[in-house]
Amino acid sequence: MRPPARPSFKARLRAFFRPPRTLSVTKTGRTYLVVTFGVGLGALNTGNNLLYLLLGLLLSMVVVSGVLSERCLRDLTVRRVGADAAFAREPFAYRWAVSRKTGHGFALTFSEDLSPLTGTGKLGHLPAGREHIVRADLAAPHRGPLRLSGVRVTTTWPLGLFAKTRVFPLDGMLLVYPRRGYACNEPGPAERGPRGEAGSPRHLDGTGDVAGLRELGVNEDARRVHWLKSAAAGRLLKVEREREERRVWKLALESGLTGDALERRCEELAAQAHQLLDGGNEVGLQLPERALRPSAGASQERRILQALAWVGFEDADVGAEREAA
Amino acid sequence: MRHPLRLRLLLRDLAAGSAFGAMAVSGQLPLWALGVFFTALVLALFNVRLVARHSRLSALGLLVAAVLLGLQLTSGAMNAVVAACSFAGLIAAQRMLSTPDAAAEGQTHLTGLLMVAGGAALSGDMTYALCLIAFGVLASLALALGVVEAAVPDGEPVPVRAVMRPLSAGLAFAVTGAVAFFVLFPRLNWAMVGPRSAPGLGAVSSAGYSNTVRLGGAGTIKGNPRVVLRALLTPDPGTDALDAYWVGRTYDTFDGLEWSNVVGAQQTERQITLRPASDTLLHQRIELLPAYGARTLIALETPSRLGNAMAHTPTGTRTSPVQLQGGGEVRFTVTAPSYTYEAYSLPPDARAGLSSALLEAEKDQLLALPTRLDPRLAQLAARVLQGEKEPLAAARRLASFLQRDYAYTLDQEGTSADPLSDFLFVRKAGHCEHFATALTLMLRTQGIGARLATGFFGGTRVDGGYLVRAGDAHAWTHVLVPGRGFVTVDATPPSHRSSQGPVLLEKLLAIYEAVEARWRNSVVDYSFRDQFELASALVRPPRPPPGARESAAPSRLPPPRAWATAAVIAFLVWRVGRLASRWTGRAPVLEATRFLDRVDAALQKAHVPRFEHETLEDLTTRLAREGHPLALALTPLTRRYLEARFGGRALREGEAEHLLATLRRALDAEAERRAAKPASQTSPTARAS
Repeated sequence: MRPPARPSFKARLRAFFRPPRTLSVTKTGRTYLVVTFGVGLGALNTGNNLLYLLLGLLLSMVVVSGVLSERCLRDLTVRRVGADAAFAREPFAYRWAVSRKTGHGFALTFSEDLSPLTGTGKLGHLPAGREHIVRADLAAPHRGPLRLSGVRVTTTWPLGLFAKTRVFPLDGMLLVYPRRGYACNEPGPAERGPRGEAGSPRHLDGTGDVAGLRELGVNEDARRVHWLKSAAAGRLLKVEREREERRVWKLALESGLTGDALERRCEELAAQAHQLLDGGNEVGLQLPERALRPSAGASQERRILQALAWVGFEDADVGAEREAA
Repeated sequence: MRHPLRLRLLLRDLAAGSAFGAMAVSGQLPLWALGVFFTALVLALFNVRLVARHSRLSALGLLVAAVLLGLQLTSGAMNAVVAACSFAGLIAAQRMLSTPDAAAEGQTHLTGLLMVAGGAALSGDMTYALCLIAFGVLASLALALGVVEAAVPDGEPVPVRAVMRPLSAGLAFAVTGAVAFFVLFPRLNWAMVGPRSAPGLGAVSSAGYSNTVRLGGAGTIKGNPRVVLRALLTPDPGTDALDAYWVGRTYDTFDGLEWSNVVGAQQTERQITLRPASDTLLHQRIELLPAYGARTLIALETPSRLGNAMAHTPTGTRTSPVQLQGGGEVRFTVTAPSYTYEAYSLPPDARAGLSSALLEAEKDQLLALPTRLDPRLAQLAARVLQGEKEPLAAARRLASFLQRDYAYTLDQEGTSADPLSDFLFVRKAGHCEHFATALTLMLRTQGIGARLATGFFGGTRVDGGYLVRAGDAHAWTHVLVPGRGFVTVDATPPSHRSSQGPVLLEKLLAIYEAVEARWRNSVVDYSFRDQFELASALVRPPRPPPGARESAAPSRLPPPRAWATAAVIAFLVWRVGRLASRWTGRAPVLEATRFLDRVDAALQKAHVPRFEHETLEDLTTRLAREGHPLALALTPLTRRYLEARFGGRALREGEAEHLLATLRRALDAEAERRAAKPASQTSPTARAS
């Protein structure tokens, strides 16, 4: 039996002080308010009725702005579609689905509330009765799981004087993979061993059956050039043969790494894994607290990236599970 | 780079044009500023961004313009408000012709706002209101489209139609709110600085009421249909077209080119008496409108008393003393766009007599002739009169001669060193000033005293009063008749005495003037007193109808409009209360949730926590089913929590504390019971051992 879940004191304090709508004045709005104040002073000073009329119109427009923006944010339903893959420090595609039952929404800007994700998604017009997918290019500053508490929807409709924001509470989590960079070090020797009688067309650069011909790349072994075909084609062609033995790399993350060293190592491991898996090899990963068995393919790369993304955040995982419970 | 929406730019430029129009209707902006702005507007509407590649050069041009305006301002040639408004117009023009980016957009709208505010200081014209509304609508549409356009992804269309509908409703709401604010907001006037207001476009600009009248100088106003004067006459003549002279001032000295007076200002009073009153005075309640543009009081011939003047300035209405000038002119001492005053005149057939204020110097001037008068003038007069010496008969004979042999024309091409000889012997055509001057001078050559009078002729009946237009401006002759005083003799052909403007235009303008009169009364002159009267009128008991018996006691109950107003206010208060309760409705929910948290904390502390996904109600049910002693304490507490959380019955002040105290007592009792139970179980065991 577990005790009932309860948000932290900080979260409760933040929720207590957060108003249901936040309103900020835009640059245009600041100028507008200054002019309105000046017109008000002029009206009071001169008693000029036309200035009173103008002041009334300016103040009414402020009220209209508030009412229309409120109508714009009311009756909205937002759900998070999320991202296919989010890598640290580079833009990734992110989506929200938004709909409303009645009325229209204009100039809506979407972002994740209280998260380090940067970037916004924009929607010009949201008619009633249809769900729209809002796309955004977001960026995360670092690797790891990001707790998402809600979606901020902001509108400057109708006059761009004020930006009214409503936060839709929506718990979630976004796992940010390590940054995609370059691997400076070699992954080390592969574990070799027979693969069996059958070759695999996905395992190339071996000595088995001919799998095909392709142009010789830069710094590639010239002994693999098929001279006859190259002479016919007029350019250097390389013979690709199936590899009958398997090459397995077991990448390892050293224990005891923290901070920037851990980040760099995770990025390097991710890059090495990507290169090796792209070459048709099998890659496994040894982490201080867990291990991934060697395997090949895109799904293995996803598993490796997920494992690397969680390194150093295991406590957060447990905490999240606890809070979820 | 994304191309801005063309419609939005058009709306923005038109909004700026409307804002500039709000200032331009005052007629105070210099012509070059008008020219520059409207050229820029036309170019911008055709999407010609002339200074897009020369922004620095155009900014330099703005700097030069600012310096020039500053010089004009310091030299006193230009009003500060006018200079500021002109400069705002130039900035708007420069921004409209620049690259349409976000900064230019914002600055164009800002200058538009400033121009509208400047227009309010410069003009009281009704066209200002039209420009203001046009600016509000166009600028709002442009801003709204800009906001939506910024959020629409590249390549996708901007939903213009979808934007229009909610925005139109919002604008209608804003206009209603502006009117409500205008009517209800207490009218304050600190009056620290008061700008000078202007008569607006089409002003007569003194209509010859300067200290001198140059012959032929004011002929073009004859076609101006603007209403300059509105009068209520008592007794009412009842005719549709008034055949009367409205005199402003007279001139006694002519130097061959200009008419002037020998006597200057004399006295300043609240009311000036020019002639002794009689029993049959014609009372006039006169309103001089901004198009009049001068400070001379106008009255029907022959004015006896003028005064009780009120000047309607932008800073409010105040009493204006009047000052007697030479030539019988009475002038306001306060400068204002419009005035109201009272005048009393002798009826046309009454014996006016000589004005008591007419000085000897003025009497001597009635026979004075210019030093270089063409001798043919006297010969012509003598030939026409053929020995007639009686002043009135001579004047009428000369007037008939002029009307018969001379043509009326407003064409005043070229300047002449001797305009009178030119009129009489060369062109043989002229306007009212030529006719009146010729008659006056011809009479003087024959030893008959006469002077030039200027004012208006005619009057069109509208709404029980009479309107006089700028085109009715006129000049005629006062002949000094012994024993009768000055008698009006008009040498101008009768068909050309009144306004020469197109009839259709005059009718249209009459409608416009009627609307503008309402605008002026309801908006421009709206004051705290009007607000007070409006509030009083709402609660004042209804008056008995004219046919009701006097014995019937008047009702002490407020009128239906008061009840209706009270109902509207009550509805508004109710709505606001509903909104406020919805807004503050979070508080009871939060209170109940906090209460639940405290209950949870207490239960957890006592090791009686809730299971996962178990509500407080479920917990209470479970404990009751198990026969737990705490169930008794939890049951009322749970019921009260549910009422507070979902039933709309908020916890009262201190109620949560009371319930929690009950729970704590129950928990303590349970703890004691548990502590006592092992002890009681130990004893038998001990006894057994």
